[in-house]
Amino acid sequence: MNVWYLIYRVIIDDIIFYPPIYQFLIIPGLIAALIVALIIIWFERKAAAFVQMRYGPREIAPKIGGAIQLVADLTRYALQEIIIPETVDVLPYLLSPIIMIILALLPLEAVPITSIRTYYPIPPDYSLLIAVALSTLSPLFIIIMSWASNNKFAVVGGVRESFIITAYELIAVLGFLSVAAMTQSFNLVQIVNLQMSGKWFGLLNPIALLVVFIAVLMSTSGFPFEIPDSESELVAGPYTEYTGLLYGLNMGGAYIKRWVFSILITIVFLGGWAPYRPTPGIITGYFIPSLIISIKALIVMAIMSFLRSVYGRYRVDQALGIAWEILIPLTLVAFGLGLAEAYFGII
Amino acid sequence: MASNISSGSVPHLPGMEVTELSKNTYEVYIGPAHPGSGHMRIIVEVDGDVMVRVDPDIGFVHRTMEKLAEGRDWIKNIPLFERMAILDACNITLPYVEAVERLLGTEPPDRARYLRTLLCEINRIASHLYGMGIFGVFLGHSTLYMWAFGDREVFIDLAEQMTGARLTHSYPVFGGVRRDIPDDFPENARKATKYMRNRLNEYAKIFLNNPNIRSRLENVGIMSKNLATELGIVGPNLRASGVRYDVRLNEPYEAYGDVEFEIPVFEEGDSLARAWARVEEIRQSLNIIEQAVDWLEKHPRENFMHEKFWKTAPKLYKDVFSGQIDYAGKYRVKLMPLFASLKVPPGKAFARVEAGRGEMVYYVESDGEDVPYRVRVVSPSFRNVIAFKYLMPGHRLMDLPAIYGSFDYFPPEWDR
Repeated sequence: MNVWYLIYRVIIDDIIFYPPIYQFLIIPGLIAALIVALIIIWFERKAAAFVQMRYGPREIAPKIGGAIQLVADLTRYALQEIIIPETVDVLPYLLSPIIMIILALLPLEAVPITSIRTYYPIPPDYSLLIAVALSTLSPLFIIIMSWASNNKFAVVGGVRESFIITAYELIAVLGFLSVAAMTQSFNLVQIVNLQMSGKWFGLLNPIALLVVFIAVLMSTSGFPFEIPDSESELVAGPYTEYTGLLYGLNMGGAYIKRWVFSILITIVFLGGWAPYRPTPGIITGYFIPSLIISIKALIVMAIMSFLRSVYGRYRVDQALGIAWEILIPLTLVAFGLGLAEAYFGII
Repeated sequence: MASNISSGSVPHLPGMEVTELSKNTYEVYIGPAHPGSGHMRIIVEVDGDVMVRVDPDIGFVHRTMEKLAEGRDWIKNIPLFERMAILDACNITLPYVEAVERLLGTEPPDRARYLRTLLCEINRIASHLYGMGIFGVFLGHSTLYMWAFGDREVFIDLAEQMTGARLTHSYPVFGGVRRDIPDDFPENARKATKYMRNRLNEYAKIFLNNPNIRSRLENVGIMSKNLATELGIVGPNLRASGVRYDVRLNEPYEAYGDVEFEIPVFEEGDSLARAWARVEEIRQSLNIIEQAVDWLEKHPRENFMHEKFWKTAPKLYKDVFSGQIDYAGKYRVKLMPLFASLKVPPGKAFARVEAGRGEMVYYVESDGEDVPYRVRVVSPSFRNVIAFKYLMPGHRLMDLPAIYGSFDYFPPEWDR
């Protein structure tokens, strides 16, 4: 009995709820991301279908509104033959989608999702900086995969991706850091604790939230910035030569990136686990706050997905113009607003 | 070349081969198997992101229609020519029917003229909606795509009630039309026009006045009045460039001389103007449909077939028409027996109409046999395609769909 209890504790405490594993693989990591993808893609299809006067998916499980359509899609992707063209550079071609997904999830390792000290994956003193820095790694592999594909459409898509990266990264970083300017801290736990009173930084500094929101849309090629893989002239952009599971990974990569950014937005701007106050204990101190964050991030993602049914796509030079001429000055305004609020002690 | 690099000191890198270029440009082949091309290929030479040479390469769906027509009975060519643009079937076949009627010396009765006008306008709306839907999805706007294709269904249903077929109606035949409309048709048509007027305002809200779409279309692909006339552009694309030319206006055929409508003309000549031109044309077509339906209601049970053919009609046909049997879709509509052995007197005839995409021209020559001697077809899309070559260079690669879609492409029509 004692032995079984010990094994049980080891599995629960040291494996499942060991913070780096829990956050990378379970909530808000891989498994949660998969469930979120299931919900969000279903929502995206159903919401678009509602706007567009049609039913959306309902062949698979019609009784629950086709909610598990993505499972069928993933099965199809997983079982499809992976065709590797002769002209590609095989090693980077095969590795970059996998590395991209892992790197896209990596920022979650830097994000504390509770205020209980024992459940920090890493010491949270500079967690905002580290998370933002880690989030900039995965797009590089889109460029690598487009180059390794050895295809004109893929290369053009990769070039566009690189243009967009340079534009949105500055915006996203400055947007997140304007909160650091408000709080005089890079510590995400402290940032959330300051929002416990209900004064979410998204309300105190809405410009920063808006700017980061648009930057995330750009980074994950969401509408109206679905530019690198614009179908009508570039087929599938950087992913043109990919088939089967690898293509599924690429598509999932964008969703995971959006998910990770949504969690960052939730923690920095939307109060994180507020108004809930974590108390020691696995369930109350770790599981529930992670769930609260996931639900808030889900709503952020749902808003991003809904834009698909309203907008077309901008031209790449227009998107860059919006980024460099409008959003970066706006980010500086947001940064100044943060400094001013800190100076006048509004926080 | 790749071999130069691998033979030098640089080791051979599989998949990383670089080809030397004499110019700092490269070619992108949009099509023929490409999500944004249709059944054609556009060879684009790109300098960085800017197109410097655009070569529309057509002919991938060529079906030798003119030659096929020389081996078929006169009447059997109508379903053949419909295959050029099945979504615009009445407009596409009407000039052929008119030309043959000129050779035969038969004039269709008034009711047939109005019925043809009615179906032409229904087809025009369906065709414009199709083009707008494709245009929307080219710009990534899936909502307009679904809306336009969904609303197109309304007019396809109208056409089905009228002719019995959704797309390939074969409705105008020599001397008249194939059958009359059912009694509840005018009511349904009025409902449809009312519905569509509201929808057009919503299209403007979500697509044409959407700041995102406006920034994509405004001042993109500007075709000046001079260029448009020089290239021989036709249809709404020409009228969007400020040229007031429409066959319905310049050379009224069927009932177009008797109904009131306006020809929307825009001065800007850019992609946005071309999109607006289609929306305004749909509005005018709705007016024409209402007028035609009014006329048809005021003149019930008039003959819709020239007497020469009508007297050979089967009894069932005549009973249905005279009201002794309820008009319904349950009776098979047979063609007049005379069509089967029709021989057209020798001669040459020419006819043109304004189809959905522009002026549609047929030249028909007969040597007195039961098949045509020669049928020459000039379709509007064929005349519009050349504009790509002159409008696209200087724009960015992402403008290609914005210009291509605004011309309402339809490769099967221009390839014949």
